[in-house]
Amino acid sequence: MAVYRGESRRRPVLILLVVTSLALITLSGTGNGGIIGSLRTTTRQLVEPVQRVVRSTLRPVTNAFDGVTKVSSLRDENARLRARVSQLEGTLSKQRAVGQEVGTLEQLLDLPNIEDATGVAARVVGGPPGNFERTITLDKGTAKGIVVGMPVVAGTEALVGRVTATTRDQATVTLIDSPGLGVGVRTEKTKEQAITQGRAGDRIMRLNFLGNPRAPIEVGELVFTAGTTGAAYPPDLAVGRVTKIDRNRGDLDPDIFVAPVVDLDSLVFVKALRWPPRVAGSG
Amino acid sequence: MRWLRWFLVVLTLVVLQTAVFPSLRVAGAAPDLLLVATVAVAFYRGAEVGSVFGFVAGLTIDCFLSSHFGISALAFCLVGFGVGVFQSGMLRSSRLVAPVLAGVGGLLGGGLWVVIAAIAGQDDLFVGHTIGVLIVAALYDALISFAVFPFVHWAAGDPEPARR
Repeated sequence: MAVYRGESRRRPVLILLVVTSLALITLSGTGNGGIIGSLRTTTRQLVEPVQRVVRSTLRPVTNAFDGVTKVSSLRDENARLRARVSQLEGTLSKQRAVGQEVGTLEQLLDLPNIEDATGVAARVVGGPPGNFERTITLDKGTAKGIVVGMPVVAGTEALVGRVTATTRDQATVTLIDSPGLGVGVRTEKTKEQAITQGRAGDRIMRLNFLGNPRAPIEVGELVFTAGTTGAAYPPDLAVGRVTKIDRNRGDLDPDIFVAPVVDLDSLVFVKALRWPPRVAGSG
Repeated sequence: MRWLRWFLVVLTLVVLQTAVFPSLRVAGAAPDLLLVATVAVAFYRGAEVGSVFGFVAGLTIDCFLSSHFGISALAFCLVGFGVGVFQSGMLRSSRLVAPVLAGVGGLLGGGLWVVIAAIAGQDDLFVGHTIGVLIVAALYDALISFAVFPFVHWAAGDPEPARR
């Protein structure tokens, strides 16, 4: 049998690399703390200036590619949105009246709400480098006041995700439909509390740990952040809309599926909220 | 000076992978430039250099992912070793070697990544969609190999694939 000269040396090298990799996987978890967290942050910070230059230089190319690949879906979406806008204009006027009453009551009870949360507006400059992650990259980081844990919204009232990593000039946001991110929510009409769970490869989330599995939740119902005491998100941010309910005989809980209210693949500007809001005088 | 060339390869591909290719997705999949580079290094320089390059390249891209640190390093070094062993038994090469190796290596590397990530706790990746993403990404890897292989060839400095 032919034996290659390098055979005796390459196997120990491979074993060493495999053992080192396994040790790193075991030690790291997915957190961003410790030595590995520092290594990640430092590497990102070192590469960041080059990324910025390359990104801005090649923006015409990526924009052209985006235009070509999304033109048909944008046309459909445009038509769908026009219909939706006219429908929403009607309900908006009704909700404004109710919203004023709620705002007055919140002020009287001194409850924290979305209006109290100031934020940092940022531009979305990228997506995830890997194929199995749901993240976006923002063009602002710790230098502008963005820190890990901040909720991120599109417009003012739709939850997009949460800041999970930062460097000086960039921040990574894990999107709400990512399998690793659960959001405490309540349903619009039935006020049932639950937790959303993203599913790999799917933009539709699932509602888990429903308070009352027999609650008459309907398709089309909106789902908002629950905003319970000490919650990671402000209350009443729109998270999604119920798109499908499977009540299989024999199952204790129905399968309830929720689609995000905003298109998480087409975000341009978002806002990272300071939450909980700073209390005046607390520094 | 060889190490400087390797460093340039890793830096260039990491920047492209993190800054450009997230916006150049096809059917939700982006190519894995560093995995293709690992395949190319193993093809030109053999199993040992391929596995070491794969490990370093994997660790570098792991810095930009939110999954467990070290998953890409393990997957890439195994692919680098496997391709290096395979190429040492090849009698002759053709123009199609680069895309075929990149495609198969991409599929294997992506599959390994999913399996290792699942063992590490991300078991939600075992869904049908994952297979579709892996196949599209592998085809993309094959396409991108026409640019990555010459770049790695320049860094490797060897005119012919290594026989080790």
